[in-house]
Amino acid sequence: MSKPRHEPLDFIIDKLTNSIENTSTGEVFDTEIVRMTPKLVTEIKKADWNFDWSKEIKDKSKEVFKLTTVNNPTIIQGLVSIEDKQDHIFMHLIESAKFNKNKDKVYLGVPGNLVAYACKVSVDKGYHGFLAFDAKTALIKHYQESLYATHFRGLRMFIETNAALRLISQYFKS
Amino acid sequence: MGLIREPKNVDFTSQSKPWTEIELRDFRKLMNEIKAKNAKPKVRILTGKKKVTA
Repeated sequence: MSKPRHEPLDFIIDKLTNSIENTSTGEVFDTEIVRMTPKLVTEIKKADWNFDWSKEIKDKSKEVFKLTTVNNPTIIQGLVSIEDKQDHIFMHLIESAKFNKNKDKVYLGVPGNLVAYACKVSVDKGYHGFLAFDAKTALIKHYQESLYATHFRGLRMFIETNAALRLISQYFKS
Repeated sequence: MGLIREPKNVDFTSQSKPWTEIELRDFRKLMNEIKAKNAKPKVRILTGKKKVTA
């Protein structure tokens, strides 16, 4: 297998407008997805995250993207780490910020938004929207229903073209 | 535009382990099959219509 291409770091490769919804008010906020660079690592407060995102950002084989509202671009709502596998995108990590977890989560739509973005990257790179990832056993059914994901085997799952296009159309204004 | 609202008790947090060569090979095979299937033009087969002859 050929080595993944490494994009130079320290620049923003994309900004897209989507939205997330406040759980208590129902208010919808426009969001952006921005490539994380080493310069932006200080925005990640370790207490808000379970995974070591600094390590992820330093790994040049991966690309990390943050989801923020347009009005508060330094408050990170969620993060995703993906890798270009040359014919599909592999999602290494995805996590919502601490305040977007559990029953008291502030915003809805954060992970779906990030997954839809990963699918868009796959489409843009000519990989037909294919996105591969692992799921916790208990959540396989949930991902099948909410993300239109396909169960491959064990914990392995993927999103194929039609599902990817469906997700992208749900999240990104054309 | 529709948002996918995850249930409040569900947190989509995922950490993937690297897929094995065998898994990747099988996945790529399946992926190519799906791509080929999607590339095929959809043909509508009409049934139940009888040819009318004079």
